[in-house]
Amino acid sequence: MNNLLPFEWIAAIRFLREGRLQSLFIISGVSIGVAVIVFMSALLTGLQANLFKRVLSSQPHITLERPKQVATPQRKVTPGQAVLSAVQKPAQRLSSVDQWQKIRDEMRNRTDILAVSPTVAGPAFVVRGDASQAISLTGIDAEQYIKIVPLPEKIVTGTFRMNNTDMLVGVQLADDLGVQLGDKLRVATAAGGNLTLTIVGIFDFGNRGANQRTVYVALSTAQNLLNLIGGVSSIDLTAVEPFQAEVVAQSIKASTGLNAVSWIASNNQLFVALNAQTLSSQVIRLFVALSVAAGIASVLVVSVVQKRKEIGILRAMGGSRGQILRVFLIQGAIVGLLGSLLGSMLATAMVSIWETVAKNPDGTPMFVIDVNVSLYLWAALVATITGLAAAATPAVRAARLDPVAAIRG
Amino acid sequence: MASDVVATPVDHVAAPVLRLEGVTKSFDIGKPNETEVLHGVDLVLKKGEFAALIGPSGSGKSTLLNIIGLLDRPTSGRLFIDGQDTASLDDAALTKLRGRTIGFIFQAHYLLSAFTALENVMMPIMLERGHPDEAMRETAKALLEKVGLTQWQNSLSSTMSGGQQQRVAIARALALQPSLILADEPTGNLDTQSTQSVFELMRQVSVTSGTSFLLVTHNLSLAKRCDRIIELLDGTVVTDQATPPAAGAHVPQTPAVVNE
Repeated sequence: MNNLLPFEWIAAIRFLREGRLQSLFIISGVSIGVAVIVFMSALLTGLQANLFKRVLSSQPHITLERPKQVATPQRKVTPGQAVLSAVQKPAQRLSSVDQWQKIRDEMRNRTDILAVSPTVAGPAFVVRGDASQAISLTGIDAEQYIKIVPLPEKIVTGTFRMNNTDMLVGVQLADDLGVQLGDKLRVATAAGGNLTLTIVGIFDFGNRGANQRTVYVALSTAQNLLNLIGGVSSIDLTAVEPFQAEVVAQSIKASTGLNAVSWIASNNQLFVALNAQTLSSQVIRLFVALSVAAGIASVLVVSVVQKRKEIGILRAMGGSRGQILRVFLIQGAIVGLLGSLLGSMLATAMVSIWETVAKNPDGTPMFVIDVNVSLYLWAALVATITGLAAAATPAVRAARLDPVAAIRG
Repeated sequence: MASDVVATPVDHVAAPVLRLEGVTKSFDIGKPNETEVLHGVDLVLKKGEFAALIGPSGSGKSTLLNIIGLLDRPTSGRLFIDGQDTASLDDAALTKLRGRTIGFIFQAHYLLSAFTALENVMMPIMLERGHPDEAMRETAKALLEKVGLTQWQNSLSSTMSGGQQQRVAIARALALQPSLILADEPTGNLDTQSTQSVFELMRQVSVTSGTSFLLVTHNLSLAKRCDRIIELLDGTVVTDQATPPAAGAHVPQTPAVVNE
């Protein structure tokens, strides 16, 4: 008996130890519950992080474009007048963001923006012999753009290099046109641009559409081809907090008057799906937690019944209601805490098994499950609180036991 | 510490340890089946007195013992413990007074099975102070020595015989040096030999520590060896008299267990 421990702790530990099998079963039950919760949380976080990483690594967090051109009727309507008119929306021509250098510098000075990269993007054709293919031509400032999209990581053959006559094409386009690294392709645009560029790298975004349509060239090359000399069609941004991108986009829109589109707005469907996933997993976790709590409570209720006489003796010997209450509350907390420790270990084992089972065809893990310390701490805290809460009813019953009845019966 | 208490002869002049004035107890008050179990019990127990409470089953012995032990409250009448009126005390204060002034010895197996003999003896002190310490460990060791169980101090109570457990219970009842020990058929579950030794131990303890005993028993020969016999019948004290000296003064001349 440790002199440093208060009576309540000593009694709680002894009672749990005495009810060996009972304690063992309930602690295993809590462990399994905690393991399921921790594993599910880790799996979901890993899955979503992986999904976001994939989505975010092939597109900017925020894209700034000039506002849409709108038709402004010349005739003003004075009050009392009625004008019948059909206003046609103008076709959106490719045009530069006004004063883009100034805006770029403003963006660089913002603390919520990590990287700024001007790009020129527009429609074009690549032509090889008789074959031609519509593409989305993207002119980039290589040095800046890699901070937005980690292109070098996506290159499967060749190198990431952006000189005036270099181009990067996707694996699908290369396949469709039957071209290889070092081959030359002619790029033509509706604006009359026409240049022959060399394939220096082939990339794979893991998305057929992107691999087929996207072609990267140097910024100045795209400006030439799209007849947008000195201009940029958009400014791509990386936000410090990806999940705050929409808020940042709104604030930029307000301050610059530009059209700011966040990745959150452009991937709305993804978020809807992820929210549904998160919600359903929360429901499952809640019910697991509830069943764990019910298990702890039922074991302690039985324990109170079994210990009626002992509770009566403790009260007769001068034990207060508060002391009895705490003995049982602490038992609940200990069960929760021990269960969460074992459960966390179990979850770690489950994660490592998962990682060896769930693999890509190339042998790399399908995705990395990040089990961080905070998840364990949370699990421990929540399980302990759950244990305390579950113990409340039995503990109150124990404290209210009439010592006379307890000793007699 | 209990072992420091000098053996004193019973002092009948001292203030009563226990005084009951017109104590009644009814159950199911206000219901059609309301029953009065105790009908105005008056009782005085002096310091160091060793009294037996006898009576048939259903006579109210247990109810009376529970009231005296502050485990239950009387319906009417007054109860003084060490001169203190208990009527005005709330539950927490009663618990405290109970722990400090009254020791309990129950019929059977009322040790805490998850604790060792020594820890069981320490329990009342631990409950009062909140956590164990060396001083109470020493006190408990001395008490276990007093009841002759030093070598059993680290045994779990479940491994001990009934007589041994009852000795531990006596040591435990003495832990806080109570003025009164209530023993509810302490020998009810014991064989004749253990009954003798447990009874003699209680007698011994009463003499050496000056603790009053109220012993509920069905065993008449045991009752006759007490200082006084109180007989309860249908909730009323019908006889209350000192036992003849020849039978009562059966304090062993050589104590069964030598007190240091």
